[in-house]
Amino acid sequence: MTQASRVKKLTDSVSHIEVSPPRLQWMGHSRQWGTRVKKGEHGLRLGDLNVGIYGEIPQHWEDQSRRPRGAADLPGMPPLPYHLRSKHQLWADSAADLYEEAIQHRWIPATDIPWSELSPLPDDVERAMCQVLTELMQAANAELESITYWQEQMSYGYHEVKQFLAVAALTCARHIDAFRKRCLANGGGLGLESRGRMNRAILESRGGWTEAVVYIYLLRGFHVQNQYRLLLAHAHNAAEREIFANCLADHSRHMSYALDHLKYAITQQASQAAIIQTLLSLGESTLARDIQEPVQRSALAIVFGGGVEGGRQEGMATWRAMVRQSIHDYLDACEWLGIKRNMIQRRLNALLPPDEQLVPTERG
Amino acid sequence: MNGAPDLELDTAWMGRMGEWGTTVRPGKRGLTLEDIRIGGYGELPEESDNMSGRPRGAAERPEAFRIGGYTVRSKREIWLENATFLYEEALQRQWSSATDIPWETIEPLPDDIEEAECALCTFFNEVEFVAGDVPARWVANISPDFFEARNVLLAQVQDEARHMDVFRKRALANGGGLTRVTGATSGFVGGIDLSRDFTEMSSRMHVSGEGAVLSMFRMGELVGQNPAEKRMYRLCAQDEARHVAFGIMHLRYLHATAPDRHEEIEAYLDEAENLSLTGGTNPAGPQAETSEALAILLGGGKQHYDEGFRILLAIRKRQLKEYMQRVKSAGFGERFENGRSPVPGRIAALC
Ligand SMILES: [Fe+2]
Ligand SMILES: [Fe+2]
Repeated sequence: MTQASRVKKLTDSVSHIEVSPPRLQWMGHSRQWGTRVKKGEHGLRLGDLNVGIYGEIPQHWEDQSRRPRGAADLPGMPPLPYHLRSKHQLWADSAADLYEEAIQHRWIPATDIPWSELSPLPDDVERAMCQVLTELMQAANAELESITYWQEQMSYGYHEVKQFLAVAALTCARHIDAFRKRCLANGGGLGLESRGRMNRAILESRGGWTEAVVYIYLLRGFHVQNQYRLLLAHAHNAAEREIFANCLADHSRHMSYALDHLKYAITQQASQAAIIQTLLSLGESTLARDIQEPVQRSALAIVFGGGVEGGRQEGMATWRAMVRQSIHDYLDACEWLGIKRNMIQRRLNALLPPDEQLVPTERG
Repeated sequence: MNGAPDLELDTAWMGRMGEWGTTVRPGKRGLTLEDIRIGGYGELPEESDNMSGRPRGAAERPEAFRIGGYTVRSKREIWLENATFLYEEALQRQWSSATDIPWETIEPLPDDIEEAECALCTFFNEVEFVAGDVPARWVANISPDFFEARNVLLAQVQDEARHMDVFRKRALANGGGLTRVTGATSGFVGGIDLSRDFTEMSSRMHVSGEGAVLSMFRMGELVGQNPAEKRMYRLCAQDEARHVAFGIMHLRYLHATAPDRHEEIEAYLDEAENLSLTGGTNPAGPQAETSEALAILLGGGKQHYDEGFRILLAIRKRQLKEYMQRVKSAGFGERFENGRSPVPGRIAALC
């Protein structure tokens, strides 16, 4: 059917209806007529749109409506519960690019993982893999529950961050999806649920998104990242390799946003660094307890050592090296952020080799 | 290690794991969430007592913290039969507004048409993320025992971020810019945002709100002025269809499992038919400013306003008919026969 005949068919039955003239009150409100953003080498990206008034990102955005940044206002509208209305509470310059990157890096657990490459593993190794993944599923679950709790409270003035986090939450769900499939596809099942100390710290971070970011990413994030890295190195087949390579790339993107945001928050808010220090002093003990928790620690060592026997020596050695790396990554990030950690919590300090230990605090 | 904690290998947990011996093989559509709903792992509780956030089927630890704080714990409050399908389809059909829209096909338009398109894009920027904010708010309140349904909502949150993004891109790509907001989704009692019950929210958002938007997006061939816009509406319609399907399938499940809530649901539908379908949240609604912009786009300029407006009336009629179809398929069709609903009368007035 041609467009013209389609239109005729559509309008035949309403042709008798009187049409009143338009009022056109919505016209004449564009605040920047003439804006023409062109696509570049990588298409038309969210960040490209920040030209002229559209790129003015205010320090505070008091408007509690859904007015997009740069649109004209309509006064008198009842507010919505947007509680995060200051840039320092959520902003990261990289959010727009990370959003586009996340959209491009979309992988599908159902069809992008070569599931047929899985083959039976010794019972102890299969159990250890399933246990490790059960714990990681819960970590991803706490991450997505925290993101969604905060994201919807973020005001429209900072849509780049809202959009990035919208994708990040689905990314976490995809990790859970892939891990669950891996657990149920190779003769195993799920493991024992997490003891969940850090998950609790994350979900109980209700004072602000920045504080939640401190726990999810700065404190626990490197430990998760290094687990993905080591699981990738110890993958038993192409399916596991694909899963962990994807998770690592996704998680690194979340870490980029987090560190970028924390740096911004610290530069903008005089008290922020001190608050983060306090949070870390309390949180390091919680993280250390989680890291040492016998179930997850042993399961990782068994995977790294290729079985219970290998797990005792070689596996535990790899685990120790991984923990050492995570703590150093964490301390390096603190230094980059300008947060003093020359004294770290006793339990976390004890996880470093003796010659690398810092001055411990007794707290926790 | 000096001062290092004693770190012996523990294996006692190996006897405390979830159901063991599960081997699922991928099918024609890969390894889907539906495929792994087997044995105990596929069993959903009618009432979830999972407050620690463990994955469904994992073994419980008695000492685990009750950190979930979940308020949606009854299956009937959240479930739908095709959640796994909708989630997997959402992952398969993701697209990028940066690279999947032929932006180069946009040519300068007459001012009135450009401004009308931008008014519509501003409206969609304003309202698209209602359907991002609100599901996000519910996700952390839903027990992870129903993670399949949660995953559909999470996919929706991402879809809506992309919708917000594609309409912003269009508004800034061809000279017009963003216009004035309509305030259609402000903090009104009885709106989508403020619902305290999941099904109430879903019936408003998925069924009446997004349903009306879907019918409009499906007319994108007529609204769009160039291949870029036509594709933008087509891709959004694809996503929107999944969101609407969530609402209908959930209502259908509730209809079948919770007869005690029928009258309450009918009351939400009464409100929707008298407010959402006619008010500002429906871009083609009789009380929406965007109706005028749509008429200009459909007619091809201000000078053809009447012609465009008649096409808009046809779209309205179609919205109402499709709405009726959806509500019928959810099990609440009687209202169109027994005189309760004003919708059949409104359709008749357009004939
Ligand atoms: Fe949408
Ligand atoms: Fe939608």
